[in-house]
Amino acid sequence: MDFLSRTQVVTAFGAVALALFVLDLVRRRRLSEEYSLLWVACTVTIAALGFSTPLLLWLTRLLGMTGAASVAFAAGLAFVMAMLLFLSVKMSRLSRESLLLARELALLRFELEKDHRLGSDGEGA
Amino acid sequence: MSRSPVLAVVPAYEEELSLPGLLDELRARAPEADVLVVDDGSRDGTGRVARERGVPVVRHPVNLGVGAALQTGFRYAVERGYEVGVQIDADGQHDPAFLGALLEPVLAGRCDVAIGSRYVARTLYHAPFARRIGMMMFSLVVRIAVGQRIADTTSGFRAYRRPVMEVCQHDFPRDFPDAPLLIGLARRGFRLLEVPVEMRGRRAGRSFYTLGKSLYYPYKNLLASLMAWIQRPA
Repeated sequence: MDFLSRTQVVTAFGAVALALFVLDLVRRRRLSEEYSLLWVACTVTIAALGFSTPLLLWLTRLLGMTGAASVAFAAGLAFVMAMLLFLSVKMSRLSRESLLLARELALLRFELEKDHRLGSDGEGA
Repeated sequence: MSRSPVLAVVPAYEEELSLPGLLDELRARAPEADVLVVDDGSRDGTGRVARERGVPVVRHPVNLGVGAALQTGFRYAVERGYEVGVQIDADGQHDPAFLGALLEPVLAGRCDVAIGSRYVARTLYHAPFARRIGMMMFSLVVRIAVGQRIADTTSGFRAYRRPVMEVCQHDFPRDFPDAPLLIGLARRGFRLLEVPVEMRGRRAGRSFYTLGKSLYYPYKNLLASLMAWIQRPA
């Protein structure tokens, strides 16, 4: 296996280490399968670019970049952007749902307190 | 009057068109079972049509997914002392006429989870090619992980004994409770058994399986199956 630079070696083995770490987080139930998808896709892509020099050179030429190492970093940056967008969508949904839950809780508390007051009045009568 | 030991749990999300038919059929063909509808945050009249038929409804304020809806049903069943919980889809695909066949091995103590299967005996059901390949793959995954052939891992027509529900009310996949769930239950020592049933097409409404979900399904289920296989049961 021919590597073009030390950067490529570090990138390839770093991606494998990160993929193993992500899978271990899933195994220990610290990360759900849903959130692992982007991480696994990213690490596999970067590892493939790191270990396959012909693929890396082909993609470098295709994108018109000057340095092969930049392609792996560009892939990483694209992943970060995708992850941020994904998390923003998730956060927007969670924020909408937490508002809805708070309103639901307020209405339930109102109903419970009303029933409790009615019960107390009934006992006093 | 003694209460039924069986609770049919119907998780429902925006199924106001198909739910009335299923509830009427359940009453006619399985009057011995109590029924609970878990309305998973529907914005249509799903809860209303169930209440109109005198069926108790637990409503999630937001859509939590079919797994969470089932967990709510299991918790309801455990807290009220039911011995068996049956999972039935609200879209009418599961025929209540087969409820007795599904319950028989569970009530007789021959298994802890009975799975209504389209593939144990020859049935009228024909899955599309891609789906058939997926089912064969996950059947193989389950066989490798637990050493038992389960032909219909995606069937959502299942009966669970109380000890299984006690576990599932705390630990259950939020979406796609298929092969990983079966592997996890078998690894905990629960006995699984397939029972031949016929399944029908969706009665009304629309399926929520989008293209994105179809692509995510194999990834999620393969990874979760692997994890269920190597994880020590909690």
